[in-house]
Order: sequence, then structure tokens, then C-alpha cells
Amino acid sequence: MRSKSLIAILMSFSLAACAGGGGGFGGYSLVQPKARAVANGKMTVTPPRPWNRVPRSYYDIAEEENWTLNGPILDSIGFIAALKDGKAIVRQRRKEDRQVPVFRSNMTPPEIVSMIESLYRIRGGAAEFAMTGLKPATFLGRQGYQLDYDYLDQNEIKRRGRSYGAVIHGRLYLMLLDATRMHYFEHALPDFETMARGAVLRS
Amino acid sequence: MSLEISRRALLAGGGCLCCAGLTGMAQARIAPSAMTPLIGPGYKPLETDEKGLWSQYERIEQDIAGSNLLIKDPKLVAYLGGLAGRVGGPAARDLRVYLAHIPEFNAFMAPTGFMVVFSGLLTRMRNEAQLAGVIAHEAGHFLRKHQIRAWRDVRRKTDAFTMLGMGLGGLSAAGGGFAGIGDLYQLAQFGTIFSLAQYGRDLEKEADATGLRLISEAGYSPIEMSNTWSQLIAEIEASAAMRKKRPFRGTSLLASHPAPADRMADLRASAVEIQASGRSYDAGRDRYLSIIAPHKAMLLDDQVKLNDPGASLYIIQNLAKDGWSGTLRYYEAEIWRLKGKGKGADEARAVQGYAAAVQMPDAPAEAWRAHGYSLLKSGQAEPGKRALARYLAMKPAASDAAMVRYSMAQ
Repeated sequence: MRSKSLIAILMSFSLAACAGGGGGFGGYSLVQPKARAVANGKMTVTPPRPWNRVPRSYYDIAEEENWTLNGPILDSIGFIAALKDGKAIVRQRRKEDRQVPVFRSNMTPPEIVSMIESLYRIRGGAAEFAMTGLKPATFLGRQGYQLDYDYLDQNEIKRRGRSYGAVIHGRLYLMLLDATRMHYFEHALPDFETMARGAVLRS
Repeated sequence: MSLEISRRALLAGGGCLCCAGLTGMAQARIAPSAMTPLIGPGYKPLETDEKGLWSQYERIEQDIAGSNLLIKDPKLVAYLGGLAGRVGGPAARDLRVYLAHIPEFNAFMAPTGFMVVFSGLLTRMRNEAQLAGVIAHEAGHFLRKHQIRAWRDVRRKTDAFTMLGMGLGGLSAAGGGFAGIGDLYQLAQFGTIFSLAQYGRDLEKEADATGLRLISEAGYSPIEMSNTWSQLIAEIEASAAMRKKRPFRGTSLLASHPAPADRMADLRASAVEIQASGRSYDAGRDRYLSIIAPHKAMLLDDQVKLNDPGASLYIIQNLAKDGWSGTLRYYEAEIWRLKGKGKGADEARAVQGYAAAVQMPDAPAEAWRAHGYSLLKSGQAEPGKRALARYLAMKPAASDAAMVRYSMAQ
């Protein structure tokens, strides 16, 4: 009963978002394999093959953009660019019991990881989340991090993720690949790596 | 990020209903001694409608038994099974308990004799008697045949097809019966619907009274059942207060109803009567704490990372009544850090908390990492690096070792 009404609510929001966002009828739009500004135009990535841009949902923040190859349940890449101090990586109500922690410009890498982990636990229903790697990495030409993680989603599907990110002039920039551990993660990883390596900051 | 909305987030509202039930106006207290079981050992359904209900739930149980969300630690599972055996009355040998890794205060009883206990219960209970009380309450639903009684009761009052749509519709919606995605979440949702639609306050009171009888017969301190209630109420209030809103979870459980307080009062009054017999009772605290100890950090981690600071602080401070540990101090600090909205005070509390945690002999490695980074942030490079080195010494194979080493080299 509840899920039905929720789906109805989500649909009405995404339709409204489509109408306003120019994402085309149905919302998904093709991303051509050439340099493209993403996430409010704050960074440029170059996909090695065509991807699909996911229509904006009610829960998306202005600073993000999401792509998929086979549908977001199987694989997706999220981009967040120039997120300000004090903002969360997801849209949420101020009085929500459970809230994804807000980004702080002085966050240490483990704190950024735990912010991402809370997103999965609170919004993704992940009961099990394991960081499998966190190491320094260059992203957008700056010192940043590479995070790897595995988790079990609310549908009991084993998933895997990788994220590159950096805090530049006090703002958060990140890319995040999220896919099923079986097949789709490995399948999308080369594209993700290519895009992350070639990502360029736009002023 | 394009995540689906968590069904759990939705369920959290009504989540506690399975064991909390719907409560309403003040009614006469049911004496535990009046709660004789309606079924005996090895009970099997006799009537056609009950057989139908059973066959649905037998399929659900098969799916649950294979769920990835189950915690399968043999010692813990055996412990829960043992508790059900102690407080299961005539059904002691028939009850099956599944432990779901879902950090909610919830438990669920199926009409066929299996129950699902959510890991969030283990996070919150202070002793074995409290946990046994929840299990006994759920067993009470089974022993008093609540599911089929409620089912028949509502069918008398409403159109049977409506009920099918509400109840079993939830099962088939999962795709060709119950085998589909999100089985346990579906079940939790189904359970909630079942509770909302069918367990009335009378049946919840019966389950409370039955549970109280069962745990006291097993030698558990009967007052602990009402303590569980007062803890839950206090937690919900603390959660709401931190977010500056009225206590509200799914139903008007606490908004304006005196009902939970009534129910708690009934449980307390019955417990006092039972204890007047002069028999000595045990809360089983030490046994419970030693069984839970290996899982404590995981349970607290699950809760704290939900960033519901009021609830999490209440839970930790309630557990700390039995003594602070490095783990509790560390997670208390984590709550402040996650809550932090840059007002300074929250972060300062977190920093102090990490510093306090590492003073304790059982401080987890993560406390040293957090302490180290907080020192680095405040410009205390050398002590910060020493704390990070301590983290690496305790956890040489840490998955973030490369990042920590990098931070130490800056």
C-alpha cells in the first residue's frame, strides 16, 4: 500500500522535473562520446562511448548529474561538482529523523567516506557497507582520494562502488560508479576510469 | 546520487508496530494468568482458511531462510533459538527465529511459528530479559492464534476481496508470489499492514500479557518488559527533540495518545503482581552482554551511521548505564561528528569524545584514527601522527591504510 503511493509520488516529481529540466520526453537523454560539461557545468568529462543521462529526481541536488548504461538499477555514474560547505549530497528535509551528513570543507578523507556511507545506509537501505579501499589519488588535477566499497542494497543485491573525489577551494567534486557486483561493475569500470582520468575542472 | 528511496526509510515509521502494535484508549488490564495458550506442541492448521494462510507463509519462510540479509553467526542464531525455546511455552520446540540485519526496533511473528527479529533490537536491549520479553510477546501472538483470529475478525467486517488486496496483495506484488526482490523489506511492510489492519489493541494486550507470563515462568525479571517500552518511548522522544519536532513515528503512537504509557503501566502493574509471589527473578544481563559483545561495534555502527542523533545518543547513554566503554565513547563522538552542522559545538564534542575514547583500554582502532585526524585538523601534527600510527599498528591490514599513511606524511 505504501509503496504504491510512493511510486505515484516519485513519478509525479520526476515528470515535473522532466518538464522543467528539458530532459526530453521520458527523461533519459543520450550522451554522445565527446567532451561534455556535467553537474551544473562545473566539470567536463569525455565518455568513450554513448551513455544515457538519468532524468533528475526530486531527491537530486542542483550540483549533481547521473548517467547510466543499462539503467540505474544495474549501473550508474554520479557526478557532483562544486558542492558548498554545509550542503548535503542529497536533497532532504530539515526535520527528517535520519539525515545524510552535510559536506564540510575541512572534511578528512575518512569523513567524506562516512558521508557517502550514510547516503547508502539512509537512502539506499544498505544494511551492510564495507569500505574495501581508500587511497590518495589525483582527481581534476588535484590531490584527492579513490574510494572502493561493497554493499548489500535493500533488494538484497550485492553492489560495488568506486569514487574519485577532491575538495577544491573548499568545494566538493566527485565521481561515483555504482553497479551490481555481478557483471555490471566490471563492465562499466573502464569507461568510468577513462572519464575520471580525463575529467577537467571548469571555472 | 540516483538511489532508490529506501523502503526501510518508509518502514521505519511503522516499523515498531509489529511488536508495538496499535494502541488506543485505556482498557482493562489483562491478567497474565488468564492468558492460556490456545495451541499445543506441534500445532497444525485445521480449517481451510488457516491452511491457506499457512501455505503462503511457508513459502515466505523459504525465501527468508535464503535471504542475504540474515545474520547467520551460529552462536547468535543458536542463542536466539534457545531464548525462544525458553519462553515459547507449548510452542517452544516449534518456534524458528531468523535474525535480519536491519537496524530497526522490530520483530515479526508469522502465523506458522517463525519469527523475524531485527538486529536493531539487539542494539537496544540491556539484558536478556528484555530480549526474551520481545520474543515472548511475539510468541504470544502465535500461541493465542492472533493472525488467524484477526484475519477472520476483519473478514467478518469487511469485504474479503478488500482484505486480500490489502494483505496477500502485498505478497503477489513482489512478483509471482513472494519470491522476488526485497523479501525481508516486503515482509516488514506486509507485517506492518497486517498489524495495522488486523492486530487490534486487544490482541496486543493479550500478547503483552502472554509474554509477561512466559518470561516470568522462565525466571526472567518481569519488570523488564515495561522497561523495554519506556526505553522505546524515550528514544522516540529524544529523536524528535533533536530534530525539534513532535514525537511521531508512523502512527500517532506518541503524539497525543496516552496509550503507550497505558500499556507500559499495565505491564508494570502486572509485573509487580507477579513479583509479589516472592520468587526471585533474573535479568540475565551478564549473559546477554557477553553474547552480544562480539557484535556490539557492528550494531552501534549500523545505528549511528543512520545519523538520527537524538535516538542514537539515547541508545548509547542507556547502554552506558551499565558502564562506559571505549566503543561506546567512540560511537558517542561519532554521533556528534555526523550531526555536526558547523556550529562548532558538535564538532568540539566529537573531538573531546575521541580523546576520551582513546583513554579507555578497549578503545577501538577507529577511535585512534578519528582522534588522530582531529588532532591533525587542529594543527597538532605530531600527536596526530602518533595516534594514526597507533591505528595502523592495531589494524595493519586496514583498507584505508594507504590514505592514513599519506596523511601522516603530510
